[in-house]
Amino acid sequence: MRQSSARRAAFVAVAAAVLGFVFAAYSTYDYAEQLDRQVHAVHCSFVPGAPVSTDGDNPCKTALFSPYSALFRATWWGGVPISLFALGAFSFFAGFGVYLALSERASNRSFGFYATVAWAPVVASVVMFAISVVRLHVFCKLCVGIYLCTLVLAVAATLAWHAKYTEDLALATTAPGDYGAPSSRQSGSAVLLWLACLGVASVLPAAAYVALLPDYRPLIGKCGQLKVTTEVHKGLLKLPTAHPVRPVLLFEDPLCPTCKAFHERLVDEGIFDRLDVTLVMFPLDSECNWMLDRSLHPGACVLAKAVLCGEGGGARAILEWTFDNQEDLRELGKKGSSFLEAKIAERWGSDLAACIGRPQTTTLLNQHLHFAANNHIPVSTPQMFLGDKRICDEDTDLGLKYTLAQLAPEVLP
Amino acid sequence: MSETNFRIGRSRAPAPSPARPRRAGLIGSAVGLVLVLVATASVATTVTSAKSRLEHPDSPGQQAVAVADDAEVAYCTPAFKQVLQRVLNACGLVGTEQRRGCQPADVKTFASINDDDFNALFTPLRDRGAVILFDENSDVLDDGGKALLQQKWQERKGARYFFVVARASRDGTTEGNRALSHKRANSVLFHLKEATNDPDLDMQVGILWLGSEFAQLSKSFCGWPNSRSDKACTPEAINRSAFVSWVDCRL
Repeated sequence: MRQSSARRAAFVAVAAAVLGFVFAAYSTYDYAEQLDRQVHAVHCSFVPGAPVSTDGDNPCKTALFSPYSALFRATWWGGVPISLFALGAFSFFAGFGVYLALSERASNRSFGFYATVAWAPVVASVVMFAISVVRLHVFCKLCVGIYLCTLVLAVAATLAWHAKYTEDLALATTAPGDYGAPSSRQSGSAVLLWLACLGVASVLPAAAYVALLPDYRPLIGKCGQLKVTTEVHKGLLKLPTAHPVRPVLLFEDPLCPTCKAFHERLVDEGIFDRLDVTLVMFPLDSECNWMLDRSLHPGACVLAKAVLCGEGGGARAILEWTFDNQEDLRELGKKGSSFLEAKIAERWGSDLAACIGRPQTTTLLNQHLHFAANNHIPVSTPQMFLGDKRICDEDTDLGLKYTLAQLAPEVLP
Repeated sequence: MSETNFRIGRSRAPAPSPARPRRAGLIGSAVGLVLVLVATASVATTVTSAKSRLEHPDSPGQQAVAVADDAEVAYCTPAFKQVLQRVLNACGLVGTEQRRGCQPADVKTFASINDDDFNALFTPLRDRGAVILFDENSDVLDDGGKALLQQKWQERKGARYFFVVARASRDGTTEGNRALSHKRANSVLFHLKEATNDPDLDMQVGILWLGSEFAQLSKSFCGWPNSRSDKACTPEAINRSAFVSWVDCRL
């Protein structure tokens, strides 16, 4: 028997749902791998099953560590990745699609239901896509794969519904019949049942994930503390914030991508403006930092001095400018200090550029570095101390909100 | 769109067998259920595995992270550090709140090495430090001396201790030269205090005054960076001095 257009479209929807399921599975796997608080590579390819990406900072990692990749972060360490809900939803859409594709007499209402609910993931995809454009400025291939699958699924489901309607209309004209169609009450019950199935399917993987999560409470705040809490020269930099309620000490490098991500995370979560921030510049550049035998971020010393020269209201703006233009500034830093100084003069004026060259500024930066040395902190950035307690590196990304909820709930908006 | 639209005819077409939709429903449900269960099981496995790695970390795989500390460079040999440690202990930089400095007799005692070996210890500091020169029988820092001293102070980088080793030429009496070298060391210290206003200065600067009786500098030290490079350097002139340098050693 010739297959109807509606069923063919349903098959396409099934294929999209299965592919979306695979993308969501890889995304979920990458997220769950991080639960051991170690460093893992992540998948980042349009080809399902392709090996993990070898480059350290790829868009999928950026998306994964962004505040938008999971829900309920303050309740559970790392939160619940949204890909888990996608995983369950795609399962439902695949199963329902199979039903529509195989059934010769699936009702128009069931096609209508499928087409309607299939747009819900598209709404989620549009929101996440907008976040990628506006906030993350990167496109994670796995995420894009999921977005496309939701779109194809929704379009195919809608086409299937339309085809089914047309076919039924044609059939009704030529050979009208009731086909034992369910009553409106029965149909309503069926829709409720399908919705319940969609809900259960969407939530079940997330429920299993939450139920099995390790208890992170014993690990929080066990990563050391400051030995020397004050800098004798009073040279550390206070960053003004809107509603500071808890003192925090941040060790930052203007050219460190993780610092940028960390800063943006704090700002995006609404946490930064509730912190009483003292900033310690800790550039990973051997030009000023004797703790390195080679520069990880050439030019970071010059930019750190620029931030120090902005003491008062300007420091935060300069720090955020360095983060916003990090890639360009990193390239200039590789060319030489003079290129960076010219760029700083162009953006912030010649007074600030002159300040960078003053011996007092060099001494001030040196005092920051000695503060780090006196405290024997790990040579890495960023680092966050809540009071004198060091927040573990793992708790500054995925576990940030959970950790703050445990140690300093007043900083959460 | 609604199903009522096509429920308008009176003649009835033969209805398809109800077995097929039911079978399709079963297959569809089974596919959905299997996918949900596979997803849930794989999530459970991944989370459980991460939990296990969290509780039993694979320690050999973990990379040691460097720890921030003061600088430690090649010239920090055991012999150099031994003398340095003795200077720090005897001259009050370690373990006491108050710096007090060291006299020639102390240096002779704690260094336990002869003059040449003592001076040789400082050879690696040739480019790191500088010789601040004074006029005969004077402890007054001239402008060149002040400028060079401040320049060297600002070149701290990762060093923890700044050493001032003051001397006098053999022109006067032993007692007089001892006092003069002490004054020269203090001139350096007082200028640093005034110029830097550094509250931590006393815990960073170690001063030694050697008079004219210990570790006199030979003329070869005239080649070191000094505050009067435009003037003639004699064996007497190079000893009317204070050698200053940051020391990049951890103790």
